[in-house]
Amino acid sequence: MKARISTIVTILIFFFTVSVQAQTFEQPVLISSAGQSADVKLVKMLAQRQGLDATTILMAKPADLTGFKTLIIVPGFSSKGLGAAGISQQEEMERVQTLIKSANDLKIPIVMLHIGGNARRKGQSDAFNQIVAENSKAMVVVRQGDEDGFFTGISKAKNIPLTLVDKIAETATPLGNLFK
Amino acid sequence: MIRNHLSTIIIFLVTAAAGVIAAISFGKMHHPEELYPSTFLTKKGMLSDYFDGIKGTNGDTEVYLFDSGVEGGTALLGGGTHANEAASFLASVVILENLKVTQGRVIIIPRMNNSAFTCSDPMEGFPEYFGIPTDNGTRTFRLGSRVTNPLDQWPDPLVFAQYPSNQQLSGFETRNLNRAYPGRPDGNLTEKVAYAIIQLIDKENVNIAFDLHESSPEVPIVNVIVYHEKYEDIAMGAVLGLEMAGLQFSPETSPKNFHGLSHREWGDFTNAVPFLMETSNPSMGRLRGKTDVDLVLRGYCDNYKKAKETGALRIAYREDTGEPIEHRVGRHIMGFKELINSYNYYYPENQIVIENLPDYDLMMENGVGKYLNN
Repeated sequence: MKARISTIVTILIFFFTVSVQAQTFEQPVLISSAGQSADVKLVKMLAQRQGLDATTILMAKPADLTGFKTLIIVPGFSSKGLGAAGISQQEEMERVQTLIKSANDLKIPIVMLHIGGNARRKGQSDAFNQIVAENSKAMVVVRQGDEDGFFTGISKAKNIPLTLVDKIAETATPLGNLFK
Repeated sequence: MIRNHLSTIIIFLVTAAAGVIAAISFGKMHHPEELYPSTFLTKKGMLSDYFDGIKGTNGDTEVYLFDSGVEGGTALLGGGTHANEAASFLASVVILENLKVTQGRVIIIPRMNNSAFTCSDPMEGFPEYFGIPTDNGTRTFRLGSRVTNPLDQWPDPLVFAQYPSNQQLSGFETRNLNRAYPGRPDGNLTEKVAYAIIQLIDKENVNIAFDLHESSPEVPIVNVIVYHEKYEDIAMGAVLGLEMAGLQFSPETSPKNFHGLSHREWGDFTNAVPFLMETSNPSMGRLRGKTDVDLVLRGYCDNYKKAKETGALRIAYREDTGEPIEHRVGRHIMGFKELINSYNYYYPENQIVIENLPDYDLMMENGVGKYLNN
């Protein structure tokens, strides 16, 4: 009996893992920020290098989702970024919440890329990190940003596949693989 | 009777001696330390060469030019905008004393706000000097103030209306060089210095310009490269290049509506590509403990370790090693090198090629003193 249960569990884990790993995303892609950190500009550059059909709108609104099949959100708070955008933290959070809700309603999957390491953790960043991570279908995270297991915890709790890499430049390959 | 006079004379002499010693010590703050440029220096001038309205004032400062003689771009490196940010000044000195330029030109101003080196910030308890051991003895450097000496510019207004934006800031900021750009020729001393720097950038056709800074570990804008939106790709290329070298820098966009700062106004008012870099300096933070030379140089502070461990704030502080001066100077030098590399990638027709500057790992291994001449 025990052996059967363990076999069934193993098979279930195998199929779950395969289904999670096999999840691919479609283009064109909309890239946006949550918190207005300039990390989103780096992701734009990495997406270009992977040849993705991607458009970057820093302050994307629900209407901007039209025609896109995947939404990449790069979370991380930046006071200078918010200053450059001329908005408050509260206004940015409301925009992000609305954007995520619309993407979910339209069944546009969200991919989270957190590349800012510990500079984009805690403080005012984690509210953005949490809402984006919990609503994503895949996460790619530079390991330094997960030293306390923040993203690993969300990944396990919500069954969201998480890829951890050591460096920003190393996010390019898993990012590209998501669209193959 | 004689005894009474004798004690009066002794007290008078001791007081006079203390006064003389204090006066000499105070006066020394007005005498900048000697710098020893590398043998590749081609010209030494003054900032007043570009705007004579600061000639003979404490705002005037040395300008060092390295001209390769090979056609290329021109870089400006500024240290000491805030004279209490030790690694900003020291990184520019290390570059000055080692640099070789093989294409294009590099201009270095180690004391951007020279007046700020002639005083200290009141109520902060900062040491007046710090020493860096070298193979030939200890080099002593001034630790100055964030702002222009009030003896050179006084009084502060209650509210500072930044020129020309009219943005209103605290009166204290009227003496902050990094709120004064683009400056004006008939303004206060800080505005005149800012104006002179803008004139230099224009007259020397500077293509890429650097303003080096330090910040408190608890401030969000730390370990960053702040860039003007016109030159985003250069910044992003450099951030990736630095990461490959094991150094994490966060890119930060210069806010369009925050005026007077080098990364904003150099980009708006000149043709230069401006970048501002910040390192984490625990001796500048509000959580610091005893403020002494050890804290300035070793950058180790238990208060910041505890603060980071609470997790309540994002603290840019390395618990095990602190933020020592060689780490902070090394980051600035690597940032300078990598931003120039990235600039060269995007402007191949106008390259600036530099050599002979220590890498971060060498700086950490050998210390700053190894790269100072004397």
